[in-house]
Amino acid sequence: MSDVVILGAGIHPFGRFDRSYEELGAEAAAAALRDAGLEWSQIQAAYLSRMYLPATSGARILRRLGSTDISIVDIEAACASGGAALRQAVLAVRSGEMEIALVLGCEKMPRGFMDPSMIYSPWQIELGMSLNPAYWSMRAMRHMHDYGTTELQIAKVAHKNHKNSVHNPYSMYRKEFTLEEILASPLVCDPIRRLEICAPDDGAAAVVIASAKRARQIGAARNAINIAACCHTIARYSADFRCPADSMSATAHNPGPTEVTARQSYEKAGLGPRDIDCFEVQDTDAFCEIEIYESLGLCELGEGGRLVDEGATGIGGASPVNMSGGLISKGEPVGASHLGQVVEIVTQLRGAAGERQVADAKVGLAHVLGAGGNCAVTILQR
Amino acid sequence: MTTKSEPSAGQRVPIREGLLIGPLADLDRVRLAGCRCTACGETSLGSKTICPNCGRNTVSDVLLARRGVLWSFTVVRHRPPGNYKGPEPFVPFGLGLVELPDGLRVLSPIDCDVAHLKIGLELQFKPYVRKDPDGREVVAFTFEPASTGEANV
Repeated sequence: MSDVVILGAGIHPFGRFDRSYEELGAEAAAAALRDAGLEWSQIQAAYLSRMYLPATSGARILRRLGSTDISIVDIEAACASGGAALRQAVLAVRSGEMEIALVLGCEKMPRGFMDPSMIYSPWQIELGMSLNPAYWSMRAMRHMHDYGTTELQIAKVAHKNHKNSVHNPYSMYRKEFTLEEILASPLVCDPIRRLEICAPDDGAAAVVIASAKRARQIGAARNAINIAACCHTIARYSADFRCPADSMSATAHNPGPTEVTARQSYEKAGLGPRDIDCFEVQDTDAFCEIEIYESLGLCELGEGGRLVDEGATGIGGASPVNMSGGLISKGEPVGASHLGQVVEIVTQLRGAAGERQVADAKVGLAHVLGAGGNCAVTILQR
Repeated sequence: MTTKSEPSAGQRVPIREGLLIGPLADLDRVRLAGCRCTACGETSLGSKTICPNCGRNTVSDVLLARRGVLWSFTVVRHRPPGNYKGPEPFVPFGLGLVELPDGLRVLSPIDCDVAHLKIGLELQFKPYVRKDPDGREVVAFTFEPASTGEANV
């Protein structure tokens, strides 16, 4: 047993709702508390992961559960916000300062492309560099050129994830598409198509974590899920061409953020990629998932397309990825995204994922990656 | 050699301070600005006081090469969100990373028929003047297919 565990997990469906973010967040937090069998008054600190919500959103949301005097802070690290927040909570519990903490991810976002002024400089917006999928597409185009990755392989990833989403009640889209439908959907930025990218939306997810000692004291140790690793890093110099970069080095060869964060996480967990039974990863676009296979070490560089062709990342495959349907199906309520992945892994490790269950899953990994090269990896173990 | 761009003739301003070098009144002499570090050898885009690679202040401004090669690209098929200043109504355009012999790849719109975009395409830097509604002349840039036979300077 690791020193910090998850006692309870809860989620509000991802999608678009005529409800306030306070309602969404409070519902997910209450569900996590219920799942843990704990009262709000027993929580000693709370961390909110969010990117697009106003100041002190964490306190505004959690006041709905009752006003206590605990520390509640909002944390932001772009798409990796959830990992950064969970990590702060884990460090706080591990320090001995507290024994039980709540980590909530919550977001409510407008439809369509994200507000570029959050990320880009004015001149980049003026020149047309403010479309996030353009960056994903340029990486895809180069990967296709260097390794022969095909549009069909990219479409196969989208097909797999849409197919998985049918069985996930928390997903925004729950519709299977044929490969033909995916390849016939309009190009957003060549070679990435409409049915191959994720959309911003609303959602919330939460976990209650505790020290292993405390879990034993309250008789919850048997059902607890171990947090074997939770790491957050930001890309080294020019190691990741992602928005809002205006250039990249042609001479520096630093390892990418997923590679660095995964390596740290594997080391902390004492595990390797082959020891992991299921993965939830940042498929902001279907190509990105192929690139992540390689960076997580599921295959060699350039072999991601082959892995797709072999079906290795389907639910019955050797390394199932995005059983939930991924961001392509769930959408990306940025602050809630990683916590949503964590809730999915907890569900998988409990054997409670129904039709999308990975047989006998004992170890799972959640990965997020976004603006500025922010990356987080959490490894959970039962 | 490192004459900073100055808003002199015609009150021209660069699209971003520190991104362009040369007299803005004479576009033929305008280049992208780079920052070269003598300690780590890295060259990056734009004038800077600290090297983004090693963090030292051993940097100086350089003129980046005019010609490069398309390293990767996409076609932007939707109007980018926010204050996009391209043609209205929106026309899909190429956006690419142009690899320069200085050792970096610069993100830039690519001014050519999108059907002709391909990795390896030879390109040249093209500054141009954009007239804003407030009367300002803003010097922006694009890359276009290189004219043949020109030296790589």
